[in-house]
Amino acid sequence: MSHSSSPFLRRRRTRRQVVGGLAGGAAAFTAGSMLPGTLLARKAPAVIQASGPLTYWGGLIFSDAANEMLTDTINQWGSDNGVETEVVMINQNETNQRVSAAVEAGTMPRALDMGLDLALLLSTSGQLQDVSDIYDTIGAAQGGWHESVDGAVAPEKFNGIRAGVPFGAGGNVLFRRQDILDEIGVTEAPATWQELSDVAAQAQEGAPGVYGLGLALSNVGDANLMVSALQSYGGRIADDEGVTCTISSPETMAFLEWVNAAWEAGLFPPGATTWDGAGDNTAYLSGQAVFIANTGSVSIAAQTDDPELFEATAYSALPAGPVMQVAPIGPNLRAIPTSTEDVDTVKALLEFLAQPEFLGEYYKVAIYGPVLQGQDEMEAFTSTPVLGGLRDLVLNGTAPGAPDVSNTAYADFNSNFTVPKMIQRIVVDGMSLEEAMAEAQTSGETIYAKYG
Amino acid sequence: MSLLANQEAPRVARTSRLTLANRQALTGYLLVVPALALLLALVAYPFFFAISISFTDRVVGQPGNWIGLDNFRYLSQNPSFLKTIQNTIIMVVVSDILKLFIGLGLAMLLNQAVRGRGLMRAVILLPWAMPGFVAFLVWKLLYMPIGGAFNQILTKTNIYPEIIDYLGQRSTALPAVILATTWRGFPFWAISFLAALQGVPGELYEAAKVDGASSWQRFWDITLPSIKPVILIVVLMSSIWTANSFENIWIMTQGGPSDATMVFPVLAYFGMQSQRLGEAAAVSVAMIPALLILVFFVTWLVEDDD
Repeated sequence: MSHSSSPFLRRRRTRRQVVGGLAGGAAAFTAGSMLPGTLLARKAPAVIQASGPLTYWGGLIFSDAANEMLTDTINQWGSDNGVETEVVMINQNETNQRVSAAVEAGTMPRALDMGLDLALLLSTSGQLQDVSDIYDTIGAAQGGWHESVDGAVAPEKFNGIRAGVPFGAGGNVLFRRQDILDEIGVTEAPATWQELSDVAAQAQEGAPGVYGLGLALSNVGDANLMVSALQSYGGRIADDEGVTCTISSPETMAFLEWVNAAWEAGLFPPGATTWDGAGDNTAYLSGQAVFIANTGSVSIAAQTDDPELFEATAYSALPAGPVMQVAPIGPNLRAIPTSTEDVDTVKALLEFLAQPEFLGEYYKVAIYGPVLQGQDEMEAFTSTPVLGGLRDLVLNGTAPGAPDVSNTAYADFNSNFTVPKMIQRIVVDGMSLEEAMAEAQTSGETIYAKYG
Repeated sequence: MSLLANQEAPRVARTSRLTLANRQALTGYLLVVPALALLLALVAYPFFFAISISFTDRVVGQPGNWIGLDNFRYLSQNPSFLKTIQNTIIMVVVSDILKLFIGLGLAMLLNQAVRGRGLMRAVILLPWAMPGFVAFLVWKLLYMPIGGAFNQILTKTNIYPEIIDYLGQRSTALPAVILATTWRGFPFWAISFLAALQGVPGELYEAAKVDGASSWQRFWDITLPSIKPVILIVVLMSSIWTANSFENIWIMTQGGPSDATMVFPVLAYFGMQSQRLGEAAAVSVAMIPALLILVFFVTWLVEDDD
């Protein structure tokens, strides 16, 4: 999408007027920020820009339009404010590694997008700036942060700081091929994981070449959906204090029996154990899967590339287990590393990117739910079913990690894909359920022991 | 003045403790210093730095503390570690053997005066010239269970009607990765062997023919001994490259399924994912002894051959 084709950027004149007005003085800015929905854009403060361009690492998502809109908007802001910008879109499956290398090499960008787990790891090691000031300003201007989002980024979890500005709530929604399900008389979304696999098996029988459950079981972030399923069966990664690994339990065994039975029934597409981050997207978009759990990127792609599939798709919350329903939300943050010198300039950019005018357009093509209450009625969430589902998730979903404690050890546990690997041990290596669970327990204990 | 100069010159020469040979040696050493310094800065420092942090609990952005062998102890408890060693050895040995046979065979073919030899030499380099990322992505697509070329061919022709998940099952994942790795690497072997073959004097073959040596005898007694040093060096280099290769595994399987294709660089990368630099460094350091043994063994063979 070019500058001129972006609806947001087409409103440049108005925005510039507002920017000019707001940049006039702190009083005007304060007055403006008190009005919900008011544009928060401000010019980069009159500080000397640090040497080199303002490098921004954006999180690449499965929507070219969204990626381009973010890039264009940052560059346009830079151009308007005399700040040289450089936007690099990073595959979010690679962000952790890229950041690790950049921290050690002293080549961190001035700002970057990240998920909660990485923010936890980086804030623990003192790598992120506190952005409480703009967090509060943005929140006050747009009706306040959603409670679930605010709780997820509470400073006590992040070494006492606001580690970033949430810009979109991620989470999984269950996608289903309603056209296939209609043929077998299934009109409602499955309410439990067991019901899901039962319906998937039934649907698969009537649709040769299609697999029931397009869920990743490989060493990628998508496969950590299985952690939520495990928790909904009553299994826990750690105790209530988040200190001791407790994955070995009868509840985890019940979960493993379910997933193993689904595998034995051939419900997972071949390759699910080695899928990369786009595996489930590809499976669904190519018509190979009846159900997938996805953040919304598939819907965005289908809307453009396969309207028929888009129309045939219905959405619902993740199923419940025998013990509870676990549907975690994961706010994504824009953060500023401690290595950034021109912090005020970067904060100005982050405030600019939090404007409803930009996000209102961005959400239409992105895969995020709202983070601010003032965003709830944006067109994206009222007119697009899957995005509406993400909004519901923000309103009704569970806190990140819940019922477990979302701390650094939990993030590390998930970074190691311990639960997907436990499943792989069973379905690939033929290990018994007990052995696989015992091995995961040992791995988990080692990880949690490091964090005391 | 000139008289004085003439008289003093021998005295200077007499008081100098350095002989001409020593002075030349000193000059030589001085000339080598910049290269040596560069080598120390670019090779030795990172090498020993990696070793040193493998004994610490260093995480990204923090210096870490000395923890002795804890990282190696943790590594040895990792269920994937033994499999990683095994996979690395299998991948290096099998792909080296395959590349040796394919590379040598093609080199001997291209060393003949055949029509279109120049074009064939260029074409053979394509897998090597292609970016690894693209090459392995193509192989991944070929292996795909649904829609992949191999499965399409086998099922459409009824040679094997069932879908094979080449990269998704333990029995086929590592062989599939080895095949792709071999395909990507064999041109280097072929071209290196071809260059070596062109250096073998034709008179040797003519004399052997006159003496009644068979084709096999000429290959075994002339060709192989003549290109043996090149073979050894290529084996050494390729083994190191294969043991350190990352993109082939990462693109195709990410070390999975389970740990069926896990190798040292991918295991280290997972350490980086958790920002545990000490552990990641320990993984890298753990493979150094095996590579050193290989280096010394091949070097010994080359020197023995000389």
